[in-house]
Amino acid sequence: MENFTEVLQLFLATENFLAIAIGVVIGVTVGSIPGLTATMAVALALPFTFSMEPVAAILLLVGIYKGGMYGGSITAILIRTPGSPASACTLLDGYPMAQQGEAKKALKMALYSSVIADFISNIALIFFAAYLAKIALNFGAPEFFWLICFSLTIIISLASGSMIKGLIAALLGILLSLVGLDSVFGSQRLTFGNYNLMDSISFIPLLIGLFAIPEIIEFYRKKVVPHLTAKASGAGVSWAELKHSLKSIIRGSLIGVAIGAIPGTGATAAAFISYSDAKRRSPHPERFGKGEVEGVAASEAGNNGVAGATLIPLLSLGIPGDVITAIILGAFMVHGLTPGPLMFQENLTLIYALFLGIMLSSVILLFVGNAAIRYFSLIADIPKAILFPIVLMFCVYGAYAVNNDTFDVWLMLAFGLLGYVFNRTGIPAAPFLIGFILGPMFEDNLRRSLLIGSNDLSIFMRGPITWFFIALTVGSILLALYRFMTSRHKAKRRADDPGKGA
Amino acid sequence: MTKSRSTGGTLIKDPWDVVAGAVLLGFSLLLLFYLVPNYIGEPPILQNPMMSPRWLPTIVGWLLLVFSLLMMIQGVLVADDGEDSGRRFERGPWLRFALMALALVVYVGLFEMLGAIISGILATLILFIAHPVRVWWVYGLAIAFPVGVSLLFTEVMNVPLPMMPL
Repeated sequence: MENFTEVLQLFLATENFLAIAIGVVIGVTVGSIPGLTATMAVALALPFTFSMEPVAAILLLVGIYKGGMYGGSITAILIRTPGSPASACTLLDGYPMAQQGEAKKALKMALYSSVIADFISNIALIFFAAYLAKIALNFGAPEFFWLICFSLTIIISLASGSMIKGLIAALLGILLSLVGLDSVFGSQRLTFGNYNLMDSISFIPLLIGLFAIPEIIEFYRKKVVPHLTAKASGAGVSWAELKHSLKSIIRGSLIGVAIGAIPGTGATAAAFISYSDAKRRSPHPERFGKGEVEGVAASEAGNNGVAGATLIPLLSLGIPGDVITAIILGAFMVHGLTPGPLMFQENLTLIYALFLGIMLSSVILLFVGNAAIRYFSLIADIPKAILFPIVLMFCVYGAYAVNNDTFDVWLMLAFGLLGYVFNRTGIPAAPFLIGFILGPMFEDNLRRSLLIGSNDLSIFMRGPITWFFIALTVGSILLALYRFMTSRHKAKRRADDPGKGA
Repeated sequence: MTKSRSTGGTLIKDPWDVVAGAVLLGFSLLLLFYLVPNYIGEPPILQNPMMSPRWLPTIVGWLLLVFSLLMMIQGVLVADDGEDSGRRFERGPWLRFALMALALVVYVGLFEMLGAIISGILATLILFIAHPVRVWWVYGLAIAFPVGVSLLFTEVMNVPLPMMPL
């Protein structure tokens, strides 16, 4: 009872409500502007959280994340431009509906299924995070070492595009995370005598540089594309239509939860799996892809079912499942908190205050989403020539604010250029960021294991938990190899028979 | 983008991969044989080489070397399938890009000297000119936004910024 009062005291601060509301508004707005991403918005919002209370800070970022997930579907439905990769599935039926004059119905269905899926995902987060954290309390350094190995391999193996490029990105991320003073011996590593690098590379300039600057550079390098706009016309969604799609929404949400809880899998896979499942079970599968409202519901449910679930490995194990949760992990660190099983022992009130806030964000999403449907044309009409200079301003001010030093602005620009090169060469930025975050954890747990085991390597195979994670790590490597071989085989077949591959 | 789509008959299927692989190969060699020995200090006595500050960077260096070679081979053998659309686009005028670079230089070079507001106004004006904004009152935003965003950082969020010239 005492704990419950403490949780309420922590949660019922006006700052928290404002943070969630502002976060969801920013998320939906940014998500519904083609060219801007929720990842960029979360990265840019991070410097604003420095002076905020930890709960409000995390809720602001979670709000942007959830808002951005829905916002991406607005552009997918109205102008056939998914705001995020996860919304690509929504346009399969959403855009044909818009062309048939049923844009409002598609948008409303996307909103309702997003909110329902988000709510189910949050419930799963609340139940499973605490349970998983309880199990993780039995983990020592060797178990965490293998857990990190598993997380790194699965993130790389499931990264879109080339596996080799994903591995290179992760390795570069690990390498850069090692810059600074060595935590055991205190010797300098790749600092080149620069005192700014002794405390390792700042996370925020890296983040802003990697996810915001390349978009700005590309905007000023690309030829101008015609500005598309559309309005949400037609009737809304009826209760009967919602009821008809409810089974697909619930199944999609559960698929999203299951996929979101595994690091690295992401919302895009969840959306497509949920969509195919709904199509397979539908009595009218032929309508899918031609403007079936249930298709919109299923893909959005899969997509948003992931949002709460990705926080499960983050909160219970301290392992970020995707880029946005990696940024949220950074926000925890900025406030001196380390997510993981110990947080459930030491900061339980904070965790439950966060849970309440996350639940509230689903309700706020419903209202903000409805407003966004009505005012979408106003949001999307803001020219990017005005928007990007402001985004750059936030980038520079945010990077400078970390240490009040121009060095961080330079660092941000350097990572911006690196991000741009990554884009041009097809090297994914997500494994780089995950490698940067997991690199020090990997080394720390390796060394602690060696110290505990008095340099005896058998400590890495000391019990069933380590064996379990070794099996998962080997399994994910095999999965990666299988995916690699299958994709090469498909590419070869396409090359041999170009007519079929198109 | 000017690069032509490669076909089965060309010697190198994806030149970008080959170039990136070669650069990474050079970097991994530099890391292994110059940076690690010269820029990572090692304690005189070590009970286990895996405890050394050089151990993980060396492992990363060797893995980078192997994967950069594989990337080059991939570039020679496998064509870019075009799924990652970020790799292909039509270039705009070079002046626009140059002005954007100038705006970045203004930010990094003059931020502390001129302060956040004045450097912000200058850079925003340059960017508005770079991607021509034809509505005159929008140029007023080049003043309003730097002032507003600076005040948001310093007064509302309590994040310090250099406000005025030194």
